[in-house]
Amino acid sequence: MNFRDLLGKQILFFDGGMGTLLQERGLQTGEIPETWNILHPEVIKQIHKDYLLAGSNMVSANTFGVNAFKCKNLAYSVEELVTAGIRLTKEAIAEVKKENAAESPMFSVLDIGSIGKLLKPLGEITFDQAYETFREIIIAGDKAGADLILIETMSDSYEMKAAVLAAKENSSLPVVVTMIFDESGKLLTGGDVASVTAMLEGLGADAIGFNCGLGPEQMKKLLPQLTACCSLPIVINPNAGLPVVVNGQTVFDVEPDAFAESVKMLVEMGADVVGGCCGTTPAHIKRVVELCGKMDIVPPTDKGLTVVSSYNHAVTFSRKPLIIGERINPTGKSKFKQALRDHDMEYIYKEGLVQEENGAHILDVNVGLPEIDEPQLMEEAVTGIQAIIDLPLQIDTSDTDAMERGLRYYNGKPMLNSVNGKKESMESVFPIAKKYGAVVVCLCLDESGIPETVEGRLRIAEKIMKTAASYGIPKKNLVMDALVLTISTGQDNATVTLETLRRIRYELGLHTVLGVSNISFGLPERSRINTAFFTMAMNNGLSAGIVNPSSEPMMAAYYSFNALIGEDDQCMEYIAKASQTADKPAAPAASKSSTLTLDEAIIKGLSESAYEATVKLLEQNTDSLTIINEKLIPALDVVGKGFEEKKMFLPQLLMSADAAKASFAAIKTSLSKQGKNSESKGKIVIATVKGDIHDIGKNIVKTLLENYGFEMIDLGKDVEPEVVLKTVQEQNVRLVGLSALMTTTVVNMEATIRLLRESGTDCKVMVGGAVLTQEYADMIGADFYSRDAMGSVRYANDLYDKGEL
Amino acid sequence: MEAVNSEIRERVNIREIYRYLGYGAGIPDDDIQSLIKDVIAHLVNVVNPKNIYRIYECSTNETGITLISDKALSFESRNLASNLAQCSRVVLLAATLGIEADKLLQRYEVLNMAKAAIIQACGAACIEAYCNILQEKICDACSSGTDRLYLRPRFSPGYGDLPLQAQKKIFEELECTKRIGLTLTDSLLMYPTKSVTAFIGLTANPQSCHINKCETCDNMECAFRGGV
Repeated sequence: MNFRDLLGKQILFFDGGMGTLLQERGLQTGEIPETWNILHPEVIKQIHKDYLLAGSNMVSANTFGVNAFKCKNLAYSVEELVTAGIRLTKEAIAEVKKENAAESPMFSVLDIGSIGKLLKPLGEITFDQAYETFREIIIAGDKAGADLILIETMSDSYEMKAAVLAAKENSSLPVVVTMIFDESGKLLTGGDVASVTAMLEGLGADAIGFNCGLGPEQMKKLLPQLTACCSLPIVINPNAGLPVVVNGQTVFDVEPDAFAESVKMLVEMGADVVGGCCGTTPAHIKRVVELCGKMDIVPPTDKGLTVVSSYNHAVTFSRKPLIIGERINPTGKSKFKQALRDHDMEYIYKEGLVQEENGAHILDVNVGLPEIDEPQLMEEAVTGIQAIIDLPLQIDTSDTDAMERGLRYYNGKPMLNSVNGKKESMESVFPIAKKYGAVVVCLCLDESGIPETVEGRLRIAEKIMKTAASYGIPKKNLVMDALVLTISTGQDNATVTLETLRRIRYELGLHTVLGVSNISFGLPERSRINTAFFTMAMNNGLSAGIVNPSSEPMMAAYYSFNALIGEDDQCMEYIAKASQTADKPAAPAASKSSTLTLDEAIIKGLSESAYEATVKLLEQNTDSLTIINEKLIPALDVVGKGFEEKKMFLPQLLMSADAAKASFAAIKTSLSKQGKNSESKGKIVIATVKGDIHDIGKNIVKTLLENYGFEMIDLGKDVEPEVVLKTVQEQNVRLVGLSALMTTTVVNMEATIRLLRESGTDCKVMVGGAVLTQEYADMIGADFYSRDAMGSVRYANDLYDKGEL
Repeated sequence: MEAVNSEIRERVNIREIYRYLGYGAGIPDDDIQSLIKDVIAHLVNVVNPKNIYRIYECSTNETGITLISDKALSFESRNLASNLAQCSRVVLLAATLGIEADKLLQRYEVLNMAKAAIIQACGAACIEAYCNILQEKICDACSSGTDRLYLRPRFSPGYGDLPLQAQKKIFEELECTKRIGLTLTDSLLMYPTKSVTAFIGLTANPQSCHINKCETCDNMECAFRGGV
């Protein structure tokens, strides 16, 4: 019998805590518990045997904290500690079976804990580094003969994804994932039960559940959230209660009897595999097995939900339609194309943020242009967007490399746009979709084109469904696009689409999606047709519309529809949105703001007014250079001077900078219409040094310098000295700005400067940051110490005036 | 909203926020003030504050301190030792606003830099407020009847001669990563960034507790230096 044969069919028992038992046996603070696999193997083996004798089916090897980061300063490698750990579980199993003629199934578990470092973009290590770290452990554990992999005590969905992918790609062992939730049902990194369940099911975990953090009583309150959405067997390994401090010692004080009583209720509620975590002992497990050993489990059932998730929430397809924002897409948008060519990620992020604010539930992400490296840009867009926007993403590309990159680095259960009924498309897309658990948009077309009839499109939908099933992709992970052709070229186009939609939704039982606005292509006043068609489509079973959430008429149709079908409780959402629209300042307010001149708008820090004033100046045929040199820069100087004289302060300085940026945007648009680019006063590389993660200071400086016409190459935070050097050399940069916040990272600032000097580059270096002083800046060889943000502007302008940039 | 979140909103020191934003003792104009209020409301609405602490018997000598539990945990630092002089007990505290504050900051660094700077300042003030709330609760719990205890000012790694290296011991002792999701980088910085680890002395002497917290810092040029 292997683990998968029994999982979800009969109750199985994990073991309990290891850490506290080791402390009782003499483990010292600072000592790495896993070294005992080699130093005190008999102690570890005896603990395993105690658990097996108590009735545990799975014994977790003492490998929880083994990883390359923790082993850096140890005498033993990851492989040595993992191999020894697994060997001890296997010896324990063999001995218990022999000595006691035990019949019950027993499995050796490769126990993997969190790396203990946050992942980028917020944290320190990359997704790939996390993956490699897990990969090393998994290969060692698999080789040593583990029966299953337990990824436990996880509190970050992205780290879990790295771990599960590493497990799936480097072994065929069953994978169990358990997480720490707090009492409100959140992971420490913000995920909730539904979002991580969606992601882990998609990635192919064999069982998931809770461990650590809470006692069995608190997990009881949380378990219904999991049973409501989870189609996999459920594992619950609670602590022996919540930690309490007694005489300065953290202890868990739920006794074996009470613990077992609570666990019994957890099994009744739907837990299929149970055990313990911190503070639990063989005595706890023994009582649990005595009480629950004969119980029937609630077998897991497929919940059939079509669901996508971001790092922090899940979005489930239902009768109430969803809005998929379509704006992150260069098709037909020259400004967006230019942003892609310029690698202007901020432009893309803003498109996303606006759609989120306007009510999108999912964002489509398409960054395809023939002349760019789409896979690279897809990875950057996906990681960049998910760092600042909470919505699930729909990876939209026909390039399978870009598809895989987007899906791999996505933090959640993604949506994928798209596959179609062509053999080639299905063969290339389905394996990737299956691997990452994506919900796939399926277009009802194939080698013969788009069928004109409803039956033709349904036949393709059925073919796609059948083929998907052969790849192991269930119906719930398919969303059918019935396809929209404009009514300007065929008057039956709308009715065919609507009927196809209805039959896919209600006869095939699949969720549906449409690119709604295609319906009016070639017609005037398109939004009239679009809104009418959108309402009709929703009424015919449209589950999600790919639309522009910034279009008020479309969103009005959407909220009205929900209210009409009874999916808007007491019309609250409709009322809220309607009053929002009514609250918007009408024409008079707008005209008032536009009476401000450009310099007034910038000094007051009003972005919209600055934009309008610039547009007005441009309409009056004012030359863009004149605007910049005679209006914009002098206004910024007023603010900068006020800041230096302490008459104006940082927030005002930045508001003015944002206003100037808005003005520049207007100028840039006008220039690009004339086929020109704005002039640069020179390139400046700016970075927060290696090891440092506080980059708001650097970002402030960047914003200001941009406004003074410098071309900023922002390398971000935690930047290796070599990356700075490489950029300086490749782009022939004459000025570098470095920021560091802490004494521990100023050394890396020094190292960066040293590297630049030693490599013979003659660029100037300006430095800033909380712990720096003029004296310190001199000591580490900087050319300029900027006490505040304006200092760097003055210095860069000086260099420019002297012709040194 | 969790009770502690509203408590943070009530307790946050607006004057400190002005100071972090470079106003010194000055007061921003009405627009900025209302923006600051909005940001505080937004922050306390999204953050998920967590803490963990332990209380120790403590022995101090001139060159450092030792926390006593089942084992002895020593920290070499004259400044810390003088901060904790006369303290019979010491609280070792780790507290964080959680990852949401950093997420919000990152979002506004793209959207609106002025607001990002204000979020940064408000976040710093919120974690201070959270620590103040926590330490009062701890202090109350440790005082009994007429035996009122008082708190010495918080003392964190990086202050005076207590090196940031001390963070490693604190993180291990309190299991910060596992318990409250606080992580330490190789360069000894904390993620989430709006976080505090600190020693807090408990003393029966109320006189010793009114101290300017910049007193142990040598950076006389610091724009944010409080008091004289």
